[in-house]
Amino acid sequence: MTSSPPPLLTPLGSAGTAVEEDTDADLASGVADPWVTIVWNDPVNLMSYVTYVFESYFGYPRHKAERLMTQVHRDGRAVVSSGGRERMEMDVQAMHGFGLWATLQESGARGVA
Amino acid sequence: MTPFRAMRRGYEARFEPVERVILARVARDVADMLREEAGLDLLDDTGAPGPSAHPGPGKGQTWANGLLAPDELTDADLARLTGVTGVSRLPTDPAAQRLLPTASKDDEDLADEFRRLTQNDVARAKVERLEALAALLDLPTGDDAPSTLGRHGAPPPVRVPREDAERFAGALTDVRLVIAERLGLRTDEQVTQLTDEIMWDRQAGREIPVATDGRAARRFWSGVFVAAGYAQETLMDVMLAELRGRRPLT
Repeated sequence: MTSSPPPLLTPLGSAGTAVEEDTDADLASGVADPWVTIVWNDPVNLMSYVTYVFESYFGYPRHKAERLMTQVHRDGRAVVSSGGRERMEMDVQAMHGFGLWATLQESGARGVA
Repeated sequence: MTPFRAMRRGYEARFEPVERVILARVARDVADMLREEAGLDLLDDTGAPGPSAHPGPGKGQTWANGLLAPDELTDADLARLTGVTGVSRLPTDPAAQRLLPTASKDDEDLADEFRRLTQNDVARAKVERLEALAALLDLPTGDDAPSTLGRHGAPPPVRVPREDAERFAGALTDVRLVIAERLGLRTDEQVTQLTDEIMWDRQAGREIPVATDGRAARRFWSGVFVAAGYAQETLMDVMLAELRGRRPLT
């Protein structure tokens, strides 16, 4: 990533109510969001940095960014965005740019919920 | 090293000269490794040489206390510092894989396609920001050097312009990921324990030793890892504060 996204970037437009509800189960059943981006825990990245990435890149409010960060840290992973495949590929690429390990998969796929 | 602080012209912290030299050197090593691993040189249609030239002191010029200038620090010097030959080139495969990870754990086709479409861009951006990090850390040189030295001959602070701060932090992440890979740090507990040990040594006034064996080399790289983490942590503190200050409460 050579440039920062706008700091006021709103949460992804393609992310429907599933993201607002924000549970894996909701994401898994979301018809409009067939793909998800998952961020995996690693021992190196700082909690503050991961939180910063979630706030800065996704435009999530602080409480949501911190909740997702905690979920990654505690559970080993978290679904951080959902939407169409191309959008998820962009998100995964951005996460790799930031140095976070992210994967994408179909939201109904085994292992998401 | 002091914590980063938000100043008018950017985020500033004071680094010890040795911290600047070593971090810059490691950043360039990681950039070189990544360029090689990702095969960027082969794709470079300009035919430009791999590592970009970076400004540095003239040949033979050394800094106070005998510290070598960045472009004078050879692989042999690093080997002497760390006690391990070949240490200047960080291990390739696992470290590069960590910087350019798979995008799918169980769908090889997806992972391959994603890598084909994105890896060059991701790798190139990382190489560029690692080199930018190194250039920012390089000690001031030439005619400017004497006038910019502060009291006690200390170099001026490292100043990260706001527009570059995210890339600077990202480059620090890449450096830390590669060193962690090299140190075999696999769990949160291992990182926490190592950080505690290093911070304890610091408080006790024990400096990074000149390495004479593998254990000292490990201690050396651990020190670099923790220093880079400290820089990143304090930078994130001020960046997060400003990011949140600019946004409406939601």
